[in-house]
Amino acid sequence: MAPTGLFDRATKGQTTTPVDVEVERGRIRFFAGVLGETDPIYTSLAAARAKGYPDLVAPPSFFMVLEAMADQALALIGQPSSSQLVRCDFNHLLHGDEHYDYSGPVFAGDTLTLTTTVVDFYDKKGGALEFVTLSSMASHAKRGVLIRATRNLLHRLG
Amino acid sequence: MSQIHPADARPGDTLPDLCFGPITRTTLALYAGASGDHNPIHIDLDFAKAAGLPDVFAHGMLSFGVLAQVATRWCGAERLRGFGARFVSITQVHDRITCAGRVTERFERDGETLLRVALVATAQDGRQTLTGHALVAAS
Repeated sequence: MAPTGLFDRATKGQTTTPVDVEVERGRIRFFAGVLGETDPIYTSLAAARAKGYPDLVAPPSFFMVLEAMADQALALIGQPSSSQLVRCDFNHLLHGDEHYDYSGPVFAGDTLTLTTTVVDFYDKKGGALEFVTLSSMASHAKRGVLIRATRNLLHRLG
Repeated sequence: MSQIHPADARPGDTLPDLCFGPITRTTLALYAGASGDHNPIHIDLDFAKAAGLPDVFAHGMLSFGVLAQVATRWCGAERLRGFGARFVSITQVHDRITCAGRVTERFERDGETLLRVALVATAQDGRQTLTGHALVAAS
């Protein structure tokens, strides 16, 4: 019997509604602090500017924060986040992998536009594991696409 | 320890390790707040038990964010062109994680010399939790 799984596979090819998020200094400092970042470009405006940056720099995995902010922005306009779109079930959900391609840095004060596209669904272990591949972009109006993200999420079933 | 500059790095060169933990519940709560990932499986013991698990477990992205620093503390954030990892096993509360990196490739792409750095996060009992890689500009 073909596995049915929990994801809504009819969403393949769909893209979330584009939303804008603002990168805040305080959030960068908080995030960098929890991760134990030691480079002051994430926490000290003076250190960031001394290196020629216009403001605090976002750490490499700050995309996660951007996405969470985008999900909140989507909720405010009554639109589904990517995890809602594909119907993630947090009782079974695991993170398979995450990958970022960086075209340029993200700074505090940036407004970025985020979208996520449902790329594909697939199964492993006879349907005991079902996966979704999501592809996201964070773009700046003048500097273009800054981060391309790819993620595989999975439901562990049975 | 003597450090190899990215401009001189060759396959086989190792980067300084980075250790963190033991991972506390406080860290998980703070990571949930800082990242915006509020999945209760990482912070709510009642939810984890209702889902059939003995305990909450760590956000993979917490280790991911530390693993990236093996590359960035070595080369600087401005050289990082790509970073990614697979979550190969679950990181448990109280785990102590060691993150390590090794240059595996040096190649040209779009007129830029890049280094591929293999990265791995390992728990105190030898269990690998994340395997990944970074792409770093050599100069």
